[in-house]
Amino acid sequence: MQNKWHSLVGVTLLVGGATGAWAAPSTIHIALTAPITGDYAEYGNNFKHSVELAIEEINGKGGALGKKFELSVGDSKGDPKESAILAQKWTSDSTILAEIGDFTSTCCMASQPIYNRAGVIQLSPTASHTKFASGSKWSFSAYGTQYWEQPVMASLAVDKLKLKTAAILYINNDWGVDTQKFFKENFEKRGGKILAEESYFSGETDFNAVLTKLKGAKPDALFIATMYNDGALISKQREKMGWNLPVIGSSALYSPQLIQLGGTAVNGVYSNVSFFAKDPDPRIQSFVKTFETRYGNSPNFAAALAYDCVYLLAEAVKRANAMDRSAVRDALAATKDFKGLAGSITFTQDRDAIKSYKPVQVVNGDFQLVK
Amino acid sequence: MTLRNVYASKEGKAIGMGGLAVILLVLPRLLGGNDYLLQVATMMALYVVLASSLNLIIGFTGMYSLGHGAFYGMGAYTSAILSVNLGWPFWITMPLGGLLTALVGAFLGLATLRLRQTFLVFGTLAFGEIVRILIMNWSSLTRGPMGIPGIPPPKVFGTELTSSTHYYYLILVYAILMVFAIFRLYYSRIGRAWVAIREDEVAASSMGISVFGYKILAFTISCLIAGLAGAFYAHFVTFISADQFGMGESFLILTMVALGGTGSIAGPIIGACILIVIPEAFRFLAEYRMVLYGAMLIVVIVLKPEGLAGIKGLFMPTTGGRRRTTLFRREPKVAAVKAGGSQ
Repeated sequence: MQNKWHSLVGVTLLVGGATGAWAAPSTIHIALTAPITGDYAEYGNNFKHSVELAIEEINGKGGALGKKFELSVGDSKGDPKESAILAQKWTSDSTILAEIGDFTSTCCMASQPIYNRAGVIQLSPTASHTKFASGSKWSFSAYGTQYWEQPVMASLAVDKLKLKTAAILYINNDWGVDTQKFFKENFEKRGGKILAEESYFSGETDFNAVLTKLKGAKPDALFIATMYNDGALISKQREKMGWNLPVIGSSALYSPQLIQLGGTAVNGVYSNVSFFAKDPDPRIQSFVKTFETRYGNSPNFAAALAYDCVYLLAEAVKRANAMDRSAVRDALAATKDFKGLAGSITFTQDRDAIKSYKPVQVVNGDFQLVK
Repeated sequence: MTLRNVYASKEGKAIGMGGLAVILLVLPRLLGGNDYLLQVATMMALYVVLASSLNLIIGFTGMYSLGHGAFYGMGAYTSAILSVNLGWPFWITMPLGGLLTALVGAFLGLATLRLRQTFLVFGTLAFGEIVRILIMNWSSLTRGPMGIPGIPPPKVFGTELTSSTHYYYLILVYAILMVFAIFRLYYSRIGRAWVAIREDEVAASSMGISVFGYKILAFTISCLIAGLAGAFYAHFVTFISADQFGMGESFLILTMVALGGTGSIAGPIIGACILIVIPEAFRFLAEYRMVLYGAMLIVVIVLKPEGLAGIKGLFMPTTGGRRRTTLFRREPKVAAVKAGGSQ
């Protein structure tokens, strides 16, 4: 209650006697949809914690347009049904300006028509499906597609590591297929050759058969389009087979969990980051430190992206200079060179983020930037 | 007259049903245009249909199926592909989705219904996985792991159904039709044959019932209903992908039937409503709500292994007879068998 009074006073002081100010909502109310429980709980909690952190910071500095941010959180369990129900819940609430979430592309796309109908901003930190953001003018993805990420990895492989051939192992889902496709394209464009490709389904734990098959093709390098948990498992089984070669992955490998699960087997694995926790940048250091002391674990890329999303919205509200959903959407779509923790963000016409990536490598059980 | 007698009497039932029908019809008004609650109601109705259709297999005929999510998905995919690729209207693609699912169900029945109990469980479980993997790999038709976005909403007399209220009424009509059809089937000759098979296959076949034929019939009808529900879902959510129809869905539907009570008409309805409402109702508990969900399931399994609709006194008539109107009543024979079996 006290908060409400504070902000009401703030509104009167800052916006002044404009009559509209009295009718306008006293806070900037945003909703977060995240898989707090279920298979993706680690990511969901990273979302929640970093969004709360970002809002606290922004509010501490007086909010945006003199209004404080207010947050409502909903748990989708990573289930598209629940994500859609939450979308209805948020869009039924006229005070909600925008939504941040969900984690998986499927959840985002299942709730997309609801946000589209209601005209509410749906800003997903991590939706990687190439058709997501272009599906509705209200949808945004801060993740950046593999289209922009894989040229970096292909260039690392060909230009820097001088690798000529590669085999690809990818997870058979929307993200895995895209990652595989864009790596292959860029690798071949630079004169490299893909000798073998194998896919596997989410939940598989025995990779010996596919690895043996790929090993038979005798590639210079192995490219794995997998999340960090599968990546660790694949590396362990590869090491056991005595198959040693450069391993390149995507940004999804970048997690402290990769090293915890993979041990020595993941030494030498290449990944890339748009967010690097050991980046000397003071802004990143202060975020990482606060996050670690408060929640007891290091923030992963999902945390950094969700954190950026709050700031993206705050900036859009400031630039729009209005609390109107449509005006804020237009301002958000016009975002250019936004300096986030997870690299800079510029939205394309389809509201996908163009981002910057830095290659990293696991060296003695720790990630280091590739120089 | 006690409350129990009111429930049991023909008039009481008629009034109860009429009241329920009126409430369901004016629900969008009652909720005052709250789309969130209406979305929950729509999902409830959808799962009432799915759970009721699975109940034909599990509750009526006494078979097992862990592949219901796959049939549901098959209807969704068929309807989505036909309407996105060929531009056919919903009112044609929906029945086709149901029919194709029924056809596949019948063939699967021919192949697997000779299996007994546990083996049938594994057979249907494997089938569910086959469908999922097929969807994931047949990229030229199903777009594989990318899913199918942009499924057009249904049209009625030239206007697109887009609001939550439209979808609610559409699924409500379908759910009521299906529950009524299942109710009529249950008390028909076919339903009697199914129950006879459930109680004792050998005795049933010795009485001249074609056990295999009736089993396939139950399987086919169940798949038809689930396929139609899937088609509705595809046009409702407008984006489908294989992970929406995986094993989790099969287990969710099975849990609804088990929780609500197998073999009764009301059981799956109650089960579906509870399992959709509980996670929403306890949203304020944040990460603890799934703990509560699990705890509730365990309590029911321990205290009422036959499911909630088996509650005596609440749904059981105090006077015998009037079989055609005892909507909520479990077969007395089952109760006797259960009582005998537990000793």
